[in-house]
Amino acid sequence: MDELGDIVQEFLVESHENLDQLDRDLVALEQQPGSRELLSSIFRTIHTIKGTSGFLAFNRLERVTHVGENLLARLRDGTQVMTPETTDTLLRMVDVVRTLLAAIEETGAEGEVDVEGVIAAVTSCIDSGDGAGAKAVAAPGGPASPTAASPAAASAGAAATAPAAGPAITEPPAAVVGAAVVGAAVVGAGAAPEAGAETTPEASAGGPAAIEAVAQASSVEVSPLEAVAEPAPDAPVATAPAGSVDDEHGPGQARRSIADSSIRVDVDLLDKLMNLVGELVLTRNQMLRAVNASSDATLARTGQRLNLITSELQEGVMKTRMQAIDHLWSKLPRVVRDLSSSVGKQVRLAMEGRETELDRSLLEAVKDPLTHLVRNAVDHGIEAPADRVAAGKAAEGVLTLRAYHEGGHVIVEVADDGKGMDPDRIAAVAVKRGLLTRDQVAHMERREILNLVFKPGFSTADKVTNVSGRGVGMDVVKTNIERIGGAVDVESTQGEGTTWRLTIPLTLAIIQALTVECGTERYAIPQVAVHELVYLDGQNGRVIEHAMGAQVYRLRGKLLPLVRLDETLGLPARSGDRDVYVAVLQADGRRFGLVVDRVLNTEEVVVKALSSRFKEIGMYAGATLLGDGRVALILDVPALARRAHLNVGAVERAQAEIDAQTRGAGDAVDRLLIAGVGDRRVAIPLDMVTRLEEFPLERFERVGAREVVQYRDQILPVLRLAQLLGVYSAAEDEATSVPVVVYTERGRSVALAVDRIVDIVEDVVDAKRDFGDDGLMGSAVIQQRVTELLDVRRAIMAADPRFDADADTDAGYDIEQTMMVGA
Amino acid sequence: MASRQYATFEVADQLFGLDVANVQEVLSFHEYTPVPLAPRSVGGLFNLRGQVIAAVDLRVQLGLPPRDFEGPAMNVIVRTEEESVSLLVDRIGEVVELDDEAFEPPPDTLTGPSRDLITGAFKLDTRLMLALDTARAVQTSTADGNDE
Repeated sequence: MDELGDIVQEFLVESHENLDQLDRDLVALEQQPGSRELLSSIFRTIHTIKGTSGFLAFNRLERVTHVGENLLARLRDGTQVMTPETTDTLLRMVDVVRTLLAAIEETGAEGEVDVEGVIAAVTSCIDSGDGAGAKAVAAPGGPASPTAASPAAASAGAAATAPAAGPAITEPPAAVVGAAVVGAAVVGAGAAPEAGAETTPEASAGGPAAIEAVAQASSVEVSPLEAVAEPAPDAPVATAPAGSVDDEHGPGQARRSIADSSIRVDVDLLDKLMNLVGELVLTRNQMLRAVNASSDATLARTGQRLNLITSELQEGVMKTRMQAIDHLWSKLPRVVRDLSSSVGKQVRLAMEGRETELDRSLLEAVKDPLTHLVRNAVDHGIEAPADRVAAGKAAEGVLTLRAYHEGGHVIVEVADDGKGMDPDRIAAVAVKRGLLTRDQVAHMERREILNLVFKPGFSTADKVTNVSGRGVGMDVVKTNIERIGGAVDVESTQGEGTTWRLTIPLTLAIIQALTVECGTERYAIPQVAVHELVYLDGQNGRVIEHAMGAQVYRLRGKLLPLVRLDETLGLPARSGDRDVYVAVLQADGRRFGLVVDRVLNTEEVVVKALSSRFKEIGMYAGATLLGDGRVALILDVPALARRAHLNVGAVERAQAEIDAQTRGAGDAVDRLLIAGVGDRRVAIPLDMVTRLEEFPLERFERVGAREVVQYRDQILPVLRLAQLLGVYSAAEDEATSVPVVVYTERGRSVALAVDRIVDIVEDVVDAKRDFGDDGLMGSAVIQQRVTELLDVRRAIMAADPRFDADADTDAGYDIEQTMMVGA
Repeated sequence: MASRQYATFEVADQLFGLDVANVQEVLSFHEYTPVPLAPRSVGGLFNLRGQVIAAVDLRVQLGLPPRDFEGPAMNVIVRTEEESVSLLVDRIGEVVELDDEAFEPPPDTLTGPSRDLITGAFKLDTRLMLALDTARAVQTSTADGNDE
């Protein structure tokens, strides 16, 4: 009985996989109705289920799949043409098959699942097809011949299960021996005549059992039933069907061989490995520190090797937990299809980057939010066909799913080309609901207003449908994504569409974190929340100001509420208002500054769960181990954000005053990064800077005549500004490391090597004089000193002439980038 | 006669004991990461072979002033249902095997915070050993531990 149970189990697993494939195929079929390939694939799947269900005496299942198969056979042979009705009927049939399988899984029997309705529907589909496609019926042999050929396919599908029930069990030793030898013959595909002759007696000794075993051992799908029915007198017969596997068996075979080359591993085991690797990384870090301090060359080499191996191991173990996002996406075509037809819209689903990989557990966590966003986009984002045409768009809306890696995170975008969101309307609803006052709204940025949709209970839908519009959802999406250390953002242009963007960490276990120091302790902040860093030296307006008791900083003319980490954590207030760093963080759609004593660096940290006893403090998202083995707490940014907005009123009043003062003074303020090259000062527009880094000399390598560095899995061309400007740089001779300004545009980066980073200034730069140096726009007086303004694009062209060719040329320099300016 | 093994240690010159079955290991450690806003009895966090362990200052749990963290402190790592926790103690003693006969409920004169943590006293040859209730000894979220 147990064996039968196992067979059923295997049947269920296989069938579920097949059904997922079926959903995809059916929806794809609608796009290309004539595809024989897809039809054959669908036919095969249904046929396999039918074959096995007959064998296992699941009669209802057999009857449903039987009529389905008839319909599919007609479609495949061109006797009948695919229509939306046909697709609906087939999908309905698939649903019934699912229900039946679920019943079997639960109770072991089919139960009382109603199948008559769907059988009638499919039958009527066949009948109506008869009328419509009368011409095509000219080939009456059509449906018959595939049916005749099909038992082979069916039993091939059942191959995995059938042998267990077959006579193989009675004669295991013989079967094994026979299998080994005959199997070898099959593998030696050429099948030399002597080899075939040799195996013959063995094979006959093993009898049908041996041949079945061959089918398994060589992992080629043969039809065992066929082989049994015709007890093979000699090996060649057994090898023949195996060798001449026809097209129909193709995909099945591929599936089987994938199964053969992979094993199932307990996720707990992988977690444990991951933890161990995390520890190894720490030990490696400690080791390297010790190695650097010693002068032993052998030890240094060993350390370097350890370093490499550890990194590779870490990568490898992380990969074991990775799955392509396609696992999630493959379910969505059906969702979109069903939903769009139920709300009377035409939607095409496009997917980009489906091979992008994510940690398994994260994939699970992203599933619901993603489905929600997709449903929402179909229901609210994309307009009805008539409205679209009226607006001058194609009647068919396009929903694009996009996944890619960016800065240690995976970005998943759900973009529609629908009507977009109206910030005024959102603001009006927010005021009406009493979530905000009119005054508050007046001072909010467009982006902030759009982000209001993430507030609980917020919905601008005119009417509630059964799909969405109830105002639950977006806040749940946000909560779910933030729970796994991610972030959600929305960008929308009225009339053109809306893009939801999920930023998801690569794994739960390892995150990019910014380490900061406050008091004597270090704390980690998830990098995903960090927008920029500002150093306050207490001069030139870079000061902490007070507005009705609330501490604020003027960040580009806007007041940024500040939270002092020392105060918040109840530490003795050590830092004054000068010589501190402000980390500009964003969470819950709010932006605020966290005042810390020092910013140390960004690194990948292994997240450790924190004992439940600290949950009620509500300030920590976890703990981690730093390079020196010490424990550091990971700050809970949303919790800090809530604290920052306790005194939001005071900040807003102050902002209103500032706005009143500055109104009219329309001069755009430039933000410039000042770098030192030799004794010259060069200003680089900060908007173009993605990161500041410091690379040790040995990181610089040569490719041909050019210098490059490896950076985040990219090879960056290096442009030494000293060379460009023709400056002799004294610093270059002694330095062991080089400060580098990383500039990124559309995924391509360039490293600008300078002698030192001097400062970042906000200034109205007007005193430009053009001396016409190559790569320079001119010069200006900044901070009482003449400073040259770098023309970054021209400078880059000098280092990497292809840079421009690859990037789109329409580019202004207005790409928005998360900017990190670190110490 | 039923007997049990106890891991013993001293806090403020008083001998305490924990059922050996609950003790994972004993070690000395000197770098603790403080947890701001945590109950006062939390001495800090430390890294035990890649695991983040919370250290509970048994002095505070017993109603004494907290320990200063100059130099290493002795940790008795105990296993609870959810996690491993360290109890910070002054000195580690031996593992002793004690008959149940030597056990007595806590004396009535014993009052204050320590009363809750103690299941009873064992009469040793030269001194008394107080048996600690593991779960209560490591519990830090009660109101009386959180007096800051």
